[in-house]
Amino acid sequence: MAVSGQSRIEEQVVVFTLRDQVYGMDIGSVLEIIRMESVTRVPGTPDFIEGIINLRGKVIPVMDLCRRFNMPPSKISDSTRVIIAEAGGVTVGMIVDSVSEVLRIPASSIEPPPAIIAGSSIEALRGIALVDEKMIILLDLGKVLYEEEKRQLEGFGK
Amino acid sequence: MFNDVEMMVFMEELEEKIQSINDNVLLLEKDGGSPEVIQEIFRAAHTIKGSSAVMGFEKMAGLTHEIENLFDRLRQGTMEVNTHLVDVLFEALDNLKMLKDEITGNARDVQVEDVLHKLRAILKTGDGEESAGNGHGAGSGSSPQAGGPDRLDEVIGDMIREAEVRGFQAYWINVDIDSGCQMKNVRAFLVFETLQQIGEIIKSDPPAEDIQEGRYDRGFSLVLITKEDAGQVKNLLMSIAEVNSVDIVQLESGETDGYPGAASEGGRQEEDVGDIGRRAAAAGPEKNAIKTVRVDVQKLDNLMNLVSELVIDRTRLDRFVDIFENKYGSEELVENIVEISNHLGQITTDLQDEIMKARMLPVATVFNRLPRMVRDIAQKLGKEIDFIVEGKETELDRNVIEIIGDPLIHLIRNAIDHGIESPEERLRLGKPRKGRVVLKASYVESHIVITITDDGRGMDVEKIKKKALEKGLVKSDALARMSTREALDLIFMPGFSTAEEVSDVSGRGVGMDIVRNQIEQINGAVEYSSEVGRGTIFQIKLPLTLVIIRALMVGMGDQVYAFPLSNVMETLAIKESDIKFIRHSEVIVVRGSVLPLVRLAGLFQIESRTEDGRLYVVVLGSGNRRVGVVVDKLIGEQEIVIKSLGSYLGQMTGLSGATILGDGRVALIIDAKGIVKDTGKEELAYAN
Repeated sequence: MAVSGQSRIEEQVVVFTLRDQVYGMDIGSVLEIIRMESVTRVPGTPDFIEGIINLRGKVIPVMDLCRRFNMPPSKISDSTRVIIAEAGGVTVGMIVDSVSEVLRIPASSIEPPPAIIAGSSIEALRGIALVDEKMIILLDLGKVLYEEEKRQLEGFGK
Repeated sequence: MFNDVEMMVFMEELEEKIQSINDNVLLLEKDGGSPEVIQEIFRAAHTIKGSSAVMGFEKMAGLTHEIENLFDRLRQGTMEVNTHLVDVLFEALDNLKMLKDEITGNARDVQVEDVLHKLRAILKTGDGEESAGNGHGAGSGSSPQAGGPDRLDEVIGDMIREAEVRGFQAYWINVDIDSGCQMKNVRAFLVFETLQQIGEIIKSDPPAEDIQEGRYDRGFSLVLITKEDAGQVKNLLMSIAEVNSVDIVQLESGETDGYPGAASEGGRQEEDVGDIGRRAAAAGPEKNAIKTVRVDVQKLDNLMNLVSELVIDRTRLDRFVDIFENKYGSEELVENIVEISNHLGQITTDLQDEIMKARMLPVATVFNRLPRMVRDIAQKLGKEIDFIVEGKETELDRNVIEIIGDPLIHLIRNAIDHGIESPEERLRLGKPRKGRVVLKASYVESHIVITITDDGRGMDVEKIKKKALEKGLVKSDALARMSTREALDLIFMPGFSTAEEVSDVSGRGVGMDIVRNQIEQINGAVEYSSEVGRGTIFQIKLPLTLVIIRALMVGMGDQVYAFPLSNVMETLAIKESDIKFIRHSEVIVVRGSVLPLVRLAGLFQIESRTEDGRLYVVVLGSGNRRVGVVVDKLIGEQEIVIKSLGSYLGQMTGLSGATILGDGRVALIIDAKGIVKDTGKEELAYAN
């Protein structure tokens, strides 16, 4: 994830959807993908934190990626999945609308995020890949986890 | 250089041996030292000498060498224990600890010359005494080639008798080494090495050191304690190159001349019992060797997690068993599943218990450090203390053990400094000259209780009141209204300290409030009672473990929350109409006093779903404060495994962790102390 596209010829990416948009996450940071299960809400956490779940005896926080990117909350359906991923030593679950496939993407087809889009979610983007006419938005997991919090903390300071 | 693992093993061994010397020197001071105690110190010093020399810590090797020499003399009975000796030994021990710190980088340029001189000086005076005529036999001048065992001195006699009691044999062995031997030291080393594998060498002639350095004529003699028979010992020794012949004579304790108890059989029995008692007192890890493996705590935690999963799966299996029973009735197959499920349940419970036990350590790891501290403090303050430790073997979770040390030290210091009077004052009061401080650990129900009892002057209410007033901790009108108990509780106020002058023993004003905080941090509680002129008892109540606690489970909306039972004082059922207001805050009146209320629904911004307008209040207590928490319903008590919320969520207000329920769902654990601390201040201030 930390290694930029240039140093590798191709990347393996877990492809998932959020509200009809296609996203990708480096497979190296994905531990497993599970079905949605009962989530315990934790008071006092940011909106995008859905709560905590029990993953085989471990308590793991789960976030709703839709909310994280300021979209309306996910609708829980049969295709809803939780991607369990690790970044910066923490393990978190991310609720996504569906997981479709694992793709090999040539590094050459990855472009940096367009500079023109600004906003809270943009900094969590690592780049955009075009594969077979499909546009896949690649996420930087470390930033998904921490940028928003940092922003909120800075907000408190003001 | 040596790698980390070797270094770690060395440091651990060092720690263990220093502790062993420390414990045994205390015993030495107390009763003049039994042979076992002296033997134990000798051995510990010997081990440190060996390993530190190998590791290249010369100062340490040199120091332990001198200690070893000293104890070799004590062991042989050519020197007596006296106070000066004990003092120097403690000084040497301190130096040893400093040298250890030097290795870990916590100290620099530790000088040991001073204490080395003192140790050598003692050895010299010992020589003088010996030449003046020492009654005990086995002088080093006697011929090693004697045809049979020397007259054995008392110490050796004791050890042989004790060995017999334990089912060992004692042999006198004379080893004859080839006169043309080029490497006498190596041969001797092999002999020692071989014999030490099958038993224990308790005496040698000439002294072990001389033999191992090759300073012997044609052979040497040894006394060996072993379970092997004489033939076997002989075979082993004869297999060593250049050993010409081996003479073995079995020794019986009755043969020892000058042994006082040998005369009558009855007397001998009595002595034996005494010896066993003393042996038990000698704290040496080698003698009662427990077979152990060092395991990373993380591994135990992982095991615990796996067991929790097993528990959850078992619960699920139970549900399926019910389904099958409903569907197919009591068919044989269903019965089988029921049986398997029950058995699995039993095994998981046992497994959980065993892993919990594996995390436990005896409180001895903390308690063993204290006698020395008590001795030093007492000496510094000119007080005489009889320090009694009971229940060392009581086991506690290792996390609790880590935290409990400081509060204990503080309470014991207080007991000696503030509690126990000076010897003169005690005599004047008609008390025994020596003050008594008892430290005791025991199991009480599912808790461990540690009590510190002193027979000193007790807590003086007036003095405490005066002090609190002087320090500006309370106003005089508030003080006047206080009950005795409330006044005594002032000692738990931050910044309170009654020491007349600040000594380096206690009374730095970081006293009892810190003690109480530390104990509460690990879900414990501090209680005390005191009687003027009779003494004070402090009682620390601790959970057996920090991982599993008993909790009161409550329902809020569709979620379950857990309240640590250690903070739950009581539960009440109330009606909405019972709730009164003080300004904007809700309170209820319970048995005449005002109890501030917090609604969990409000605190956590969650939905509340009450039936028939009844509310339940969980009364939480921390220190002296009480707060009622309003919940939807009470579910019941349960043992829960505490899990952290993880670093991503971090510290959440009002929550102290999470736990996994039987059905696999996650429940949040309420931070009772936090809630008590944060609420009710304003209301109480107003109410009062």
